[in-house]
Amino acid sequence: MRDSSLKNRNGFPVTSGTGSECRQIAERIPLGVLILALLLSASATSARVVTDQTGRRVNLPDHPHRLVSIAPSITETLYELGLGDRLVGDTDYCDYPPQARALPHVGAMLNPNLEKIVALKPDLVLGTDEANRRETADQLERLGIPLYGVTAHTVEGTIQSVEDLGRVLDWEQPTQKLVASLRVRVEGIEKQVQGQSRPKVLFVVWYRPLITAGSQTFISNVIQRAGGVSISDDLNSEWPHMGLEEVLNRAPDVILFPQTDAFAPGIDEFQKLPGWRDLAAVRNHHLYFIAETIMRPSPRLIEALEELANILHPMAKQQGEHP
Amino acid sequence: MTLSPTRRNVLLLLLALAAALILIDFCALALGGVHLSLGEVWSGLLSRHPGSEASVIVRDIRLPRILLAMLVGAALAVSGTGLQALLRNPLADPYVLGISSGSALGAIVALWIGGRMASATPLTAFVGAVLTMSWVYLLGRRAGRLSSYTLLLAGVVTASFLSAMILFVLTLLSTRDVRGTAFWLMGDLSVVTDVQIRFLSPAIIIAILVLYAFSKDLNVLLLGEGEAAHLGVNVGRVETAVYLLASLLTGLAVSVSGAIGYLGLLVPHLGRMLVGNDHRTLIPTAAFGGAIMLVLSDTLARTVVSPAELPVGAVTAVAGAPVFIYLLRRTSG
Repeated sequence: MRDSSLKNRNGFPVTSGTGSECRQIAERIPLGVLILALLLSASATSARVVTDQTGRRVNLPDHPHRLVSIAPSITETLYELGLGDRLVGDTDYCDYPPQARALPHVGAMLNPNLEKIVALKPDLVLGTDEANRRETADQLERLGIPLYGVTAHTVEGTIQSVEDLGRVLDWEQPTQKLVASLRVRVEGIEKQVQGQSRPKVLFVVWYRPLITAGSQTFISNVIQRAGGVSISDDLNSEWPHMGLEEVLNRAPDVILFPQTDAFAPGIDEFQKLPGWRDLAAVRNHHLYFIAETIMRPSPRLIEALEELANILHPMAKQQGEHP
Repeated sequence: MTLSPTRRNVLLLLLALAAALILIDFCALALGGVHLSLGEVWSGLLSRHPGSEASVIVRDIRLPRILLAMLVGAALAVSGTGLQALLRNPLADPYVLGISSGSALGAIVALWIGGRMASATPLTAFVGAVLTMSWVYLLGRRAGRLSSYTLLLAGVVTASFLSAMILFVLTLLSTRDVRGTAFWLMGDLSVVTDVQIRFLSPAIIIAILVLYAFSKDLNVLLLGEGEAAHLGVNVGRVETAVYLLASLLTGLAVSVSGAIGYLGLLVPHLGRMLVGNDHRTLIPTAAFGGAIMLVLSDTLARTVVSPAELPVGAVTAVAGAPVFIYLLRRTSG
């Protein structure tokens, strides 16, 4: 996974020069050549063909300014980057930040309403390979609306997808600032958990039957970055179904639940359920809720990462604050 | 066999159905997530302002989808009519012989092998349909010719085996693909390409016309195989042709739209209530009826929860069962 994102990073295609590059060039070459170059680049400013992170060829406008997001994580990222005013539409499920709810909606991620999108006259639609279908991208392409797709399967991949969006939207400097601050926070967590023992974590997506997060989601990567180790790390799929017997066998130290409505009954419930009540983590009350943002590859993922690190290594955090 | 209406009445009925279809198509063109006035719809359709928003929405989004709904609806209804006569079973529908399951398996295997951001392709779906059709045909042959009894059993068993395979492959797919596949399994018309329309329209229309050419033989076949043979019908040839044509129609429809339920079961029954059992009128009635029903259902699917959309198969399934029960009570009571 990391390989492919690196490749995408390097493989980002040659494009007509950005503003700063033009200025660097201008210092070195004669005026006549410069004018010629400007004339040539002017003819190419309207659009350029790039390969997005999902491997599709996209006819990308140079300065996209009417955006439709068809993934909640992208909506969040755009607001975080200060690009909320370029957003002209998002999905029914884009609930953060609150302003995102007020935007015109284009339906759900898997089957957005094409005519709503057309009516919003976007010059670029943004999606992810996690939330959206390839068919949607193909349909929009048929209608002459480019869709740029990002992928984010790890903490680092999420940060890189933010970086990539900044490049695509011609918004590099503010993006670099955000990305640098995110990286500083991730490094802070790294220091916090360094040298600590790694508690075994069970992440519960659903408990009847038990569905957990496998190695193909970034949740196991978040757990690892937060100084733990997911007990379902070796299950090579996204949301595997695991038997309680196997959980008992793997003996997690900590059990995590995403904070969703599905778990409204509360953690006490598990102390009564057969099988569950026999787990050391349940007996020792090591059950925790974690913000739902742990499942959304946006800058807020780093908040969930910090929250989780503090759950798994509370002492280390205190030592860090009072050396 | 019920008394068949006179030729003139039949012609009038078909004209009325065609007029209803055109009217419903225009309503479907005018309705959608984005509100357009009738004038905008009309000028968009005639492309008075090419490239305008109304023109893109009407000509590139709504029209291809309505055309696809008409083709798929007609194909499924005619296929169901043919199979009900061939199998002499009122419960037969285009999916009873496993063709939709084979098609679905083809599409899902493409997703599974293709991996991230792959499409469930109509091509592999069609290959799946053709393979299933051939397999069931070979199983259904007895002593050199098709036996409707064996055919039905072979089809049902094949369908259940393929469904089991689909469930197996679904467990191997990523969550996003599973959710995407759900649309396909339920039947969905939201993914239309020009190639599909250009390829499907001649294929489906020709298959319907050829099946229509066998309508007299189908009438005779309903009297029983023995009677039909006495009346000089080459039963084996008719059965094989009807089987292949009906399966082909189903395969074509399912490979682009997934398994849209109930239509192929319901419309032939509606048609028989309207015009009786004479296939010379029943087949065209079913073709128009199927087109009308699917355009109506898909318009509901597009507009009921707007801006979100429902898979059209969810609409036909929810509406289909009550209508079928109503028909059952009316005809038996």
